[in-house]
Amino acid sequence: MDQKALIEQVVIPIAQVVVAVAVVPLVILYLQLVERKILGFMQVRLAPRRVGWHGLLQPVADAVKLLTKEDTIPAKADRFLFTLAPIVTVAPALAALAVIPIAGTPFHLFGYEVRPWITDLNIGIVYLLAVSSLGIYGIILGGWSSNSKYSMLGALRSSAQMISYEVPLGFALIGVMMLAGSASTVRIVEAQQASGWWYILPQIVGFFCYFISAVAETNRVPFDLPEAESELVAGFHTEYSGMKFALFFLAEYTNMIVVSSIVTIAFFGGWLRPFPNVEGLAWLENGWVPLAPLVLGGFAGWLAGRRLGGGLNPLIVGLLLGGLLGFGIAAADVFGLASMRVPLLSGAFWFTLKVSFFLFVYIWFRGTYPRYRYDQLMQLGWKWLIPLSVGNVIVTGLVMLLRETP
Amino acid sequence: VTVVRSAARRGASPIVEALRSILLLELWVGLWVTLKNQFRPHITVEYPKETVELSPRFRGVPRLRFHPETGEELCIACHLCETVCPDDCIHIVSEKKPDGKGKRLVSFEINYERCCFCGLCVDPCPTKPLTAIYMSHDYEMADYKREGFVAPLRTLLDGIEPKEYKE
Repeated sequence: MDQKALIEQVVIPIAQVVVAVAVVPLVILYLQLVERKILGFMQVRLAPRRVGWHGLLQPVADAVKLLTKEDTIPAKADRFLFTLAPIVTVAPALAALAVIPIAGTPFHLFGYEVRPWITDLNIGIVYLLAVSSLGIYGIILGGWSSNSKYSMLGALRSSAQMISYEVPLGFALIGVMMLAGSASTVRIVEAQQASGWWYILPQIVGFFCYFISAVAETNRVPFDLPEAESELVAGFHTEYSGMKFALFFLAEYTNMIVVSSIVTIAFFGGWLRPFPNVEGLAWLENGWVPLAPLVLGGFAGWLAGRRLGGGLNPLIVGLLLGGLLGFGIAAADVFGLASMRVPLLSGAFWFTLKVSFFLFVYIWFRGTYPRYRYDQLMQLGWKWLIPLSVGNVIVTGLVMLLRETP
Repeated sequence: VTVVRSAARRGASPIVEALRSILLLELWVGLWVTLKNQFRPHITVEYPKETVELSPRFRGVPRLRFHPETGEELCIACHLCETVCPDDCIHIVSEKKPDGKGKRLVSFEINYERCCFCGLCVDPCPTKPLTAIYMSHDYEMADYKREGFVAPLRTLLDGIEPKEYKE
């Protein structure tokens, strides 16, 4: 192996792994602040504001607290498994990041080719499903080794729930894999580009099955029975404190990011712009430029609305003005935008935008829905989602067959 | 939102009813409510930084006051408030005035640990037109020691220095 290949195939992926493992926890710190903020606003509260401007340093304070807190192990806990459990939970969650592409085209750095994904497995989706289901072991081990009723009950609920929802989770993605003819995450997005539309259109049922199962799989509201604070204190991590608790926390949020990424890749065209084949909308490739005024306008309007107490109207006005400005800049080709296409930036912009939207949906659900009862949860999984997702696979297969045979 | 009102539901045909549950209409309505609420102005009062406006009849801790013009003590040491207090938290020591007419205060203590802020002590106070004892608008009472809650005459007249909130 010559030096160039060695660097491209070994050194760069390792660097990417380091970057991913370092960046994702930082993102999660702020994702958690965003969650608390949005939840607060949904409940007409202010959310954290004391640490830093509008609470911007709150995640730092939280991190310092978690890192310096005493790390207690219950006297009758199984010490080895108790320590092992958070590691077993967080490792698969981070490992799942390996096959997530954030942009489509490789770029060159100092003459070496860098791909915007760590690895492109030809069984990417299957790998994701396999790895994410490994996380259950950590939860069961944690719940069992704590030697506490609450932890044990939380772990039992969690294992039952995750095993039930794994089935529709897998089935929902089979439709996508059939349409794309591949299980590789990169190839799925490329297939969506070739077909001209995002797979949300032909696979809307699959999308619903997948997203609902995924919310259940990540143990989030309204399927947060494993931690159910009103019943089980904190579920499987009742006995955990300090850094071990932080690892469980990290795993939960990493799983959220991973799931949002899979939804984006499988159903919403990954790094593709909306309508990837319509030439007239090519300026969306520079989406990060024209959408910047939109976001800024919306933000200004939102701030004005909070200051003036005018409800939704200032936000809408801000969005409209910002959007018009953005459209103007992009359509009139100011600054020679059309020739200034940067695939990496464009891909990363659209991918991040879509992932952020689904993370917002997670928080939105949390602000809206009450928790399912245990039997309702099982009913939804076995009586609705599994038949629906299997039906989706059958219908997809039939339609594909009918379109191929003349 | 009106669509899901129960009155509207009762008249709905089974087909509409079925469509409603298949399309998860109520879940969408719920999402819309939370989405909308995000943009409502907040109602939180960031307490130490901002405070709510108190109504004139707000009952804070009971205190004593001077005559607004002459600046003399209003209290005539009649012990009525001490008698009426249901918590027995007022303790008055008085003596005959040297000129022999009426009484004056030696000490006047209110134990805020026991006070229930009922305002009954104000009602029988005989001084006119202002009552000597009144329900003030002070409510920031936290202290580190129990002794801090027994307010002597001076504190009752001058009030407690409000603590400034520092960022």
